Amino acid sequence: MIVVKNLEKHYKIAKRDPGLRGAIKSLFHRKFETKKAVKKINMHINAGEMVGYIGANGAGKSTTIKMLTGILTPTSGEVKVNGIIPYENRQQNASHIGAVFGQRTQLFWDIPVRESYELLKHIYEIPQAQYEETLKEFVEVLHLEPLLGIPVRQLSLGQKMRCELAAAFLHRPKVVYLDEPTIGLDVAVKVRIRAFIKQMNARYGTTVLLTTHDMQDIEEICQRIIIIDDGSVIYDGSIQDIKSQFGDKRVIHFELEDAADSFVLPETLCDITEVLPKSDEEPHLVSLSFSNKHISGAEVIHTMMNHYSVADLTIADAKIETIVEEIYGRGMKKEVQHEEIH
Amino acid sequence: MRKYIEFARVQMQVHAAYSAWFWANTFSILLRMLVIYFFWKAVYSSRTEIEGLPFDGMITYIIIAMFLQMFVSGVGQELAHTIKDGNVAIELMRPYNLITRLVAMDLGDKIIHFVRGALPLSILAFIFMDITLPTTWQAGLLFLISAFMGIWIGTFFDLLIAILAFWTINLWGLQVMKEAVISFFSGALVPLILFPEWFQTISLFLPFQAMVYVPVAIYTGILSGTEAWLALGSQVFWAVSLFVLLRVLWTIAIKKVTIFGG
Repeated sequence: MIVVKNLEKHYKIAKRDPGLRGAIKSLFHRKFETKKAVKKINMHINAGEMVGYIGANGAGKSTTIKMLTGILTPTSGEVKVNGIIPYENRQQNASHIGAVFGQRTQLFWDIPVRESYELLKHIYEIPQAQYEETLKEFVEVLHLEPLLGIPVRQLSLGQKMRCELAAAFLHRPKVVYLDEPTIGLDVAVKVRIRAFIKQMNARYGTTVLLTTHDMQDIEEICQRIIIIDDGSVIYDGSIQDIKSQFGDKRVIHFELEDAADSFVLPETLCDITEVLPKSDEEPHLVSLSFSNKHISGAEVIHTMMNHYSVADLTIADAKIETIVEEIYGRGMKKEVQHEEIH
Repeated sequence: MRKYIEFARVQMQVHAAYSAWFWANTFSILLRMLVIYFFWKAVYSSRTEIEGLPFDGMITYIIIAMFLQMFVSGVGQELAHTIKDGNVAIELMRPYNLITRLVAMDLGDKIIHFVRGALPLSILAFIFMDITLPTTWQAGLLFLISAFMGIWIGTFFDLLIAILAFWTINLWGLQVMKEAVISFFSGALVPLILFPEWFQTISLFLPFQAMVYVPVAIYTGILSGTEAWLALGSQVFWAVSLFVLLRVLWTIAIKKVTIFGG
């Protein structure tokens, strides 16, 4: 359904010296810097698959999705969705895909939800009988009945997202791209939305590519995940595999009494644990990552307690979240080293 | 085609829902008509004609030009917004042409404006002010065609300016300037024949007079015979060239978005 081969996207970014001088200088002579947002990625997604596409902010997820939807032309490489090259036949591609962008609305702001759907019916040229049947089903699953008469701008975030989701699936698209569909929603709405996505996939065999930072979404919906970091695919496989591959990984977060700047890893832990990068917001936090094949969690805690006064600690277990955190962490470290070399 | 008709229909519906706005608008137009009427009455109190135009000719020109000017701007504002907040990306993911969609919505807007606003108000003006009918029925017919062309020219020009939002960050200044230039050069304020010769010559080569001046001048008989046909020809020229320019610029802008990421 989705075939991507050696896909690359480079952006040219105008580089500018700081200050007014820089601004004036850039009027006459502009320096460009090429940023490789996506580097030679490959993926093959079959019809009916539900794939989680994850990566840290700025890893290249949105760029990939934009190329899949045809609103961005790749620098090089091949991309085909449902046999169509999206950036060459944008409108043709558009009628077979659906999308939800958590941060943007695609319903029509001023008119009631029902009218919005009515308009979508014409836009996507949905036959009347099919439209009625689909809408009835959606109204039931997503509990839309009380919302249909309300103008979109008056809906709450959770209500709006349910309506958006119905809009994305209304024309029974073959592929649906979901970009953070559960962002900012409460648990009850999240559960309903996940159930809806699964049901659509089961009934219509819709291929789903899901981008999210909520690992619960991924674990519940997807059978397969693709992890992208710094523009390259660093993992592509089933969730089960990644769990057994990294399943022995543990991360313990220690909250120290003193600032973590002066933290030095105790000698006995040196070779078998790794300090994850610190965040600026939490100056007292130290996160250690290790494999429980080499050392047990109890031992790590014991050693740490002996060397430092620990205020609090949390143990992250082998959930996908931990693994991804670990993978992102490594990616970030690479970036830091990179900058130092320059 | 059906989807674009639906867009026009929905837009009409949206507008019909804003009744407070409608009454405020109607009231302000009425007020403007009154001001215009008494102003020109005062101007004509000491003379019978200006540049060959008697009072009823002048007031007919001014009022009809005022109505026509309401229709020469378009959905540029909307397009500029879509571009600026980045929603244009979502629009590009839809199976329709965004420009055609916007023009369809604009058409819906204009139809409802005409039916609910301009038509009843102009009937009022006919009854209570000394507005005359076109001199001949041919002039009336020609006026309708010419007004239609003028509205298209204005709509295209408006969208053309809006597309510049892809390149400039702040479009507001440009749009204000556009409004000013149009009111002045299009002949929406006063007939262009009141301006000095050189000004008339300049505006002859600009697309603005094709928006308002030409149709209203045909209506009032300022332009007639060969002159009227020539003016209509220049309208066709402007409509076609602005349309082509719009499509070309749009294609370039879309290329920019899809290749450089906006």
